[in-house]
Amino acid sequence: MKKKIVLSILCIFSVLCLNAQHSSKNNGWPGELKGGIRIQKTQKLYWENGFSFDFTSPKIADSRIHFGLSYVTSRLGSAMGSNAIKQDNYLISSGYYFHHQKQFQPFARINLGYFHADYEEDIFDVLPHKAFLFSIDAGLSYEFEIPLTASISAGYNLNSGSGPSGPGTLYPFYYQMSIFYTLFK
Amino acid sequence: MTTKNRFYGLIVILLLVLSACSKSPDIDNATMLDGDQIFDPSLYNLELYLVSVAITDPGEIQKNTPVIIAVHGYSATTFEWDEFRTYCDAKSDVLVSQVLLGGHGRTYEEFKNSTWEDWQEPIMAEYNALRARGYTNISFAGSSAACPLVMDLIKKGKIGDNGMKHIFMVDPIVIPSDKLLTIIGLVGPMMGYLETSMTTSEEGHWYHFRPQETLKQLLSVIEKARKDLQEGYNLPAGTRVKVYKSLKDPTADAVSAVLIYKGLKNSDGSKTDVEMIDSDLHVVTRLNGRDNIMQHDRDNQLHVFDDMYRILMQ
Repeated sequence: MKKKIVLSILCIFSVLCLNAQHSSKNNGWPGELKGGIRIQKTQKLYWENGFSFDFTSPKIADSRIHFGLSYVTSRLGSAMGSNAIKQDNYLISSGYYFHHQKQFQPFARINLGYFHADYEEDIFDVLPHKAFLFSIDAGLSYEFEIPLTASISAGYNLNSGSGPSGPGTLYPFYYQMSIFYTLFK
Repeated sequence: MTTKNRFYGLIVILLLVLSACSKSPDIDNATMLDGDQIFDPSLYNLELYLVSVAITDPGEIQKNTPVIIAVHGYSATTFEWDEFRTYCDAKSDVLVSQVLLGGHGRTYEEFKNSTWEDWQEPIMAEYNALRARGYTNISFAGSSAACPLVMDLIKKGKIGDNGMKHIFMVDPIVIPSDKLLTIIGLVGPMMGYLETSMTTSEEGHWYHFRPQETLKQLLSVIEKARKDLQEGYNLPAGTRVKVYKSLKDPTADAVSAVLIYKGLKNSDGSKTDVEMIDSDLHVVTRLNGRDNIMQHDRDNQLHVFDDMYRILMQ
């Protein structure tokens, strides 16, 4: 049932993206806005999936710097129909893209945000369940001829949970793949 | 420098790193468990540690007396449950069987070559031996890595209905506090082993050097426990669980208790019992050998022992 809901959301999102792109031609938009899905796997822990947006402009460092907004959660990953802990990651990011005029673009990125884990029972309220997120990641982005962009990266959380402090399921190493559709250009 | 020369340079550096890794740790045989002189005392006097060996022909009263199989954690020895044995000896109506995990309590090389299945084997051997001798009131107490080992036995159905009355887990590890354990597969071959710091009193009871091979085994068993709990499973009928979890555990992350609570249910589907302990120790029931023990730690230890005893006597 949950999987059907997620698939429906993804379909609706795709249609909205398609509409948005057609209606935005020649509207003087100052840059490029992409929206899409993100699939994230933490080393030795959960799949956490969600949504991501990416913005860049020729007026800002000649499109070499990208700004991002993303949300990934185990609710759309490992915690679907299982006992995995439900946890959410809200992130803003800024990345530098090399070879920005080519299809293959290596990049390095800094991410800041907020992490929250839901332990569901009062008895666990004493445990740390939220944290400030600060991570770095680097990877490759590929722009297709059609308005799609795929990127993969590996990252490191600088403030992962360490027993006496921080949420225990905030792990340090993660890998992610994002697929973006160009919404405005 | 040409690309070819750089390539050869990298190969030489890599070979140097790998050769450095293969070096064995500098073991002091006179003081360290890792050496070939100090072994776990249960290996010399099994009858002092295992109830199945001490009382091979129990009478009717003994058969119904609570027997608790007490199992230590990764890299430790039977020493970890000595204080509980002393506590129970004073009560005189509970028998304690202190099991030494496979591969433990022996030389560094034997530890290095053991798998988590080897560690688990003596738990099942003692359980089966007690059952074969007619003991009917068997329980289990495990600390740290002993907990995922016994959870695996439950998951595999090795302990049947009414085969075990209580399972006490003290600071079970499902999520490690030190998250660098998650990349032991990558950095382990470069490290070779991990040296641990311990007090003089602890030397001889824990391995001073932890082979990277055994850290991989530890990661493997806790990873399995986590995935099993994620799927969820039930205890056998007639078995109850109580988890005691230190809040600021530097070894087993306190969130391990959340995963056990969510994933392991009683046979009727009801929730198991968890108690969070205000402590910064790993294995709150073991104080011997530690420095700077506070009254608060002693209170915690006594509270857990009293609670276990109360549950056993119900």
